[in-house]
Order: sequence, then C-alpha cells, then structure tokens
Amino acid sequence: MESNPNDYHISFFKPATEMARLNRNIVISLVIIWTVAIFGFQITLKIISKPTPEPAYLAFEQVWDQVSSGNASDKDLQVFAQASLSVLGKNFIDPGHRVALDNGLSWSLHQLAGPDQGASIRQDIAAFEKLKGEIENITDPEYVNARNELASAVSPVLGLSPGDVRTTLVSIELNSSMMDALSPESREAIPAAMSLYLIHPQSILTDGRLFGFPFHYFYTAVFLLVLFVGLCWLYCVRADRRDAILGIDQ
Amino acid sequence: MKKIILPLLLISIPAILSAATGATQLEGSFKVGPSIILITILCLFVLVGIVFRAKDTTDFYAAGRSISRVGSGMAIASNWMSAASFLGMAALMYGAGYHGLAYVVGWTGGYVLLLILMAGQIRRYGKYTAADFIGDRYYSQSLRAIGAIIAILISISYCVGQFGGIGLMFKWVMGVSYGWSVVIGGTVVLAYTLISGMLGVTKNMQIQYVIIIISFIIPLFILTFKFDYFWLLPQIGYGAVVSDVVSGIPLAETRQLVNSFGHAYAMVPAPEYAMPFDPATGQTFYQWIAISFSLMVGTAGLPHVIQRFYVVPRASDARWSVVWGLFFICVLYWSAPAYAAFGKVLSASPEIGRLAKDAIVVYTAQLGNVHPLIVGLLAAGGVSAAFSTVSGLLVAGASAFAHDLYVKTINPDAPPKKQLMFARMGTILMAAIVTAIALAKLALIGQLVAVAFSLAGCTIFPLFLLGIWWSGSNKQGAVAGLIAGGLVSLVALTYFIAGKMGAVLPGHDFISYWLGAWYFGIIGAPLAILVHIIVARMTPETPLEIRKFLIEKVHSQ
Repeated sequence: MESNPNDYHISFFKPATEMARLNRNIVISLVIIWTVAIFGFQITLKIISKPTPEPAYLAFEQVWDQVSSGNASDKDLQVFAQASLSVLGKNFIDPGHRVALDNGLSWSLHQLAGPDQGASIRQDIAAFEKLKGEIENITDPEYVNARNELASAVSPVLGLSPGDVRTTLVSIELNSSMMDALSPESREAIPAAMSLYLIHPQSILTDGRLFGFPFHYFYTAVFLLVLFVGLCWLYCVRADRRDAILGIDQ
Repeated sequence: MKKIILPLLLISIPAILSAATGATQLEGSFKVGPSIILITILCLFVLVGIVFRAKDTTDFYAAGRSISRVGSGMAIASNWMSAASFLGMAALMYGAGYHGLAYVVGWTGGYVLLLILMAGQIRRYGKYTAADFIGDRYYSQSLRAIGAIIAILISISYCVGQFGGIGLMFKWVMGVSYGWSVVIGGTVVLAYTLISGMLGVTKNMQIQYVIIIISFIIPLFILTFKFDYFWLLPQIGYGAVVSDVVSGIPLAETRQLVNSFGHAYAMVPAPEYAMPFDPATGQTFYQWIAISFSLMVGTAGLPHVIQRFYVVPRASDARWSVVWGLFFICVLYWSAPAYAAFGKVLSASPEIGRLAKDAIVVYTAQLGNVHPLIVGLLAAGGVSAAFSTVSGLLVAGASAFAHDLYVKTINPDAPPKKQLMFARMGTILMAAIVTAIALAKLALIGQLVAVAFSLAGCTIFPLFLLGIWWSGSNKQGAVAGLIAGGLVSLVALTYFIAGKMGAVLPGHDFISYWLGAWYFGIIGAPLAILVHIIVARMTPETPLEIRKFLIEKVHSQ
C-alpha cells in the first residue's frame, strides 16, 4: 500500500481489508443471533405476559368488601385470614405490609373465636410471644411444643385443614396486641399488599414446563448460557477457517 | 517443594475431621473445622505459587504459552469468578428471583461481545495493559495516565464487593462482627497478595478454579439427592425446585423432609420468585435490560479481563481460551440459581427471619443439613473465589499505579527497586481504601461489583471498541467520550452515595431509577460512543502511522 494520507482508513462498516470484511460478516451474523436471543426473548416475555392472580387473591377479592365494612360472615373472615397467610408465607414482604396483614389475621381470629374463646386464645398468644422472647434457639423443645399447640388450637377456627401449609405460619404471625380492631392504616394497606404479592405477570412462556423448569426460566438460566458458549465456539471455528482462507500463519 | 504439599495435606485431613464442629448454627461461634479448611486452602495456594513461581518477568507474562487452551480457559474462569459469582448471584436471585438472572446473562453474554469484537484484535495490537493500549492508540501520555487511573478506580470498585464477601465468610467462620471480619479478612488477603501476587499465577488459577467449582457443586449434589430431585445433574434437577416454589409445596407432599431447624420442606406458592419483571420484587423490565446490557459492555471493558489476551502466544489461542473460559464460568453460573431456589424453600418459615442474602449459599447448605465440613469447604470456596480475584485486581491496580502512572508518566528512569516499592505501596493503599468502603456495606456484593462493570462500560469499552474498529477514532474524540462517560458515572454514583447518606438531591427518584448505580452503563456507554464519534469527526484525523498500524497489523495478519 502507498503512504497516501487518504489511504489507511478502516471502519467496521467499511472494512478496508479482506480479513476485516470477513470478520465483519461473522460478527454481524453472531451479534444478530445474540441480540434476538437475549433481548428479543425478554421483550416478548414483557409483551405477552398478563397479570394473573393467584387463587388466594380471587378469594380475597370476593370477601374484602364485606370484611372491610364489618359485615363479613365467619366464612368470609376465614377466607380473608387464609389469603393473608398466603402473603405472609412469602419470603420477602414489605415490613409495613406485614404489620397490616398480621393485624388483619389477628383481628379475624378474634372475631371468629368470639368473646370467651377469643380471650383465651389471646392469653395463649401472649404466653407464646413471651416464650418467643426468652428462647435462644428456635429448636428449643418447649418453644416448638408451644408453637405447635397454638397452631393446633387456632387452625380450626381459621378453617385451615391439618395438611394446609399455612398452619405452620399461623403461630408466628399472630399478634396479641393487634386483635381488637382492624386499624384504618391496615384497611388501606391490605388491598394494595394483596394485589402486589398475589398477582403475577404470566404467559404461555411462563406456564409451560421444560425439564421441570418454567419454560422461560430454563431459557434464560440454562439455554442462553449454552447459546453463548455455542456462539463463541462457532466464532472460533469460522475465524480459524477465515485465517486458513487468508493464509494467515500465527 | 512439590514433595511438601501432599504430606501437608495428608497431615491436615485428620485434624480437619476431628475438628468438624460448630457449623450447625447459621451464625454464631468460631467454627474450627471450616477455619482449618480455609487456612489449608490458602496455604495450598501459596505453596503452589512458590512451586510454580515465575522465574522472571518474561516467564510471568508468557505463562500462558506453556499451558493448553483448556488450562488457559480455567485460568480465565478463575480470574473471573469472584465473590460476586460465588456468593452474589445466588443472593440476587434469592432476593429478587428472575431479576437476578439479568446478572447471570450479563456476566456471561458479555464474553460473546468480548470475543467477537475484541479478543483477537487486542492480541494483535500487542500492548500489555489497558492503559498502554489507550496511551498508544490515542497517542497521548495524558490519556495513558487517565486510563491507568480508571483502571485503578475499577479495581477498587470491584474489590469492594470482594471484601464484602470475604468479610461475610470470615464472619461466618470466626463468629465475630462484620466490621472486624472485613478488617481481618482484608489484612489476610493483603498479606496473601503481597506474598503470592507474582507467584505461579496461571498454575495457581487452574488449581483455584478446581477448588472453587468442586466446593460449589458438591453441596448441590447432596441437596438435590437429599430432597429427592434429579441429582445426577443438579444444574437441571433444580428446575423442579423452581416449579415447586412457584406452585407451593403442600405439607402432605413433604415426606418428612425437614430443614436443619425441623421445619417441613413446604411453602406457600411464591410465583413472584420465577415470574419475569414481577412487581412484587420491586424490579422492572427496564432494570433487567439495563443490568444485563451494562454488565455485558462492562465485561468487554474490564482491564483485568482484557489483559488476559495479551499473555497468550497466538490470536487463535486467545479466541479458543475464551470458549473454554466461558464454558468453565458457565458451570458455576448454571449452578448458582439452584442455591437460590433451595434457599427459598428451606428458609420459607418466617421463624428463620431475614437472612443476609449474600451468605445464602452457605445458609442454604446449612439449612439443608449438609455436613458441616462440606459447608466449611463451601465457605472456603467463597473466600478462595474472592481471594483469587482480589489478588489479581490488587496486582493489576498496583501495576497501573507503579508502571503506567509512576514510571511511564512521572519518572521514566525509576530503578526497579523503586518501582517495586511503589507497586507495594499501591497495593497497601488500595487495600486500605477498599476496606474503608467495604465497611460501609453499601449494597449487595453483586451490585457493588456491577458498579465496576458500568464504570468500565462507560469509559474503557468505548475506547477499545472504537479504537480497534474505527481508524477515525482520535485523541479528541477519546477525550470527549471519556468526559461524557465519566460524567454519567459521576452523576450516577453521586446520587447513589447521597441516597445512602440520606441526602435527597434534585430529581433523586428519576436519576436513581434511570441511572441506577449498577446499570448506568446502559446510558453512559452509548452516550460516550456517540460523543466520541461526533467529536472525532469534527477534529483532525488520526495520525497516519496509527491508521497504518491498524490496517496492517490489527486487521490484516
């Protein structure tokens, strides 16, 4: 090549050498696959997903008006308390939401139990709370017994069958100081908490299963990584072929 | 010396077995067994370093030439896998479900960009450090110095997350407060780096990879077997755990399986764990895309990652070592989500309370009743992952300080002794700064490390991308692009730090959302590229010799 200052210009879109041209072609094809596979899929997920409520939310929706207006039947209160437990059993919920739902649960239990049994249950809960504050380890046998006994006592009142996983939560979530009334703050916070934690963006891609995974999860967590390794392998094969064509000896 | 290692290991095994106590509590007292495992592994690294030490600088740089592509891939993987990979990713998925997968995709997908856009070309360009490349390609000593400063800042930012991880694991092992753990762990890693920093690096990295991956995967086999999932390939077997989290596990189906606290292996449905962009996680679609994009461009702009390609003999080796490196990295990344999924079920009882997310890998193994020694090995693996990365980063930062800043720009005639003294001073100074920041516990490990990626994506990535692929990219464009990327970084980090200190700056919510500290690269990188191109087009051409070099050496051989 001559040393003309106008020469020696190169860019990705105007490759001045055969090697750069071949390289560009490989890069463009791989980047397209890479982009569509990553971002195309996530955009599709976003577009086609629809807010899908859990059964607990549908049940809550049916009884909330009666519960909040104070006209709820025992059955309504049980449904409301069970829906509250469905949220309280999730790992990460906002502390403010937890307080509101604990209030809802404790108040419902008190309403369902009636004055006499309610007073007795309140005493049991208070005793359990005291014990909880004293123990050093949650495997303490006395604590475990007290927790299980309390759960056995209140679960039937809340309409929870013995095999219901929510029976394991109830002792821990009840609060003896929240049983008298459903506070205005809780009344306001509960519907928002329910819709936040019990409605999820779902679609055909999230409902399908592959190797036990929800399909979209498998795609992102497993398949995309396989694809990345595959794309790198493909690039290396094509780059080696390109070098052979161009007679590049390294 | 080689004869020393095996007897030492054999002697230490009975001591470890007899001391296997104290790992049954999630937190608490000093754990003898895990401590011995941790010390043994660290001693092993130092011994291997002494046995395979580099005899001179050439040997050090050419270490890759004597090992296979697979071995080189292992070294890349070990260099890459830090506390963020080992501890941080599972933490992010445990806390935010599907959102955490943005980190998995970002930290692996970036290697595709790195390979197809840069690896071979960087090797052909033939410079040894990122600052060397920047100084040479943009014919500016000032830019070389700025490149070195950015490399140091990235190293510090990257190390903060690692020190956080080391602190958490030391806290778990020693049963002391997080603050003391960071100080003790930081001192140990500094001593380790000063002793082994230049020793048999590549061979050590291969051994570190094997230890990291074994310690990470063994508990997964045990967990999947114990809880009756497909255990032969836990990376697939945990899919059913994810589905169980989504649909809930009724008490009737637990078959007497319990966690270490006696809670039934049961939980209420938690679809928010797996559903994409679920509002319950507090994360959005934009954040998912922004994080994965920022991590990808950051991967292709990290000095210590780019540097790996300078030390292989041929461009073809540089390419194939990336394929193997990525595969080895993926082995860990395929596995990490499994810890998060098991952790979700095993910590489902509100009685367990809020666990430190960054230690969820270890807690999950404990909650799953995995043998304390295996849990200790897992914790030691986490520390090893952090140590291997911190050691590399401190050495890279110190060499940027001593070589690129001091020798190349301030005192070119500095004698080797003085250079070494500056390198050591740089290492100690960086470790002190990192310790101080890590004590503030600003965010999760994965998020802290992601800051380094966005910083690299906004600054170094555009310089390499345009410097390699466009001869029109010149000094003025580079400076303008750096200012643009630097400003975006500065704004994002200022708002982040102000928020952590309780101050509310104008437009706080808006800036904090769109320029989040761990994903500002999505705005900063394209903006830096755009500004770079515009300014370069308006200013004098790149000197002929550089354009000629690009065509004849980088894009023709």
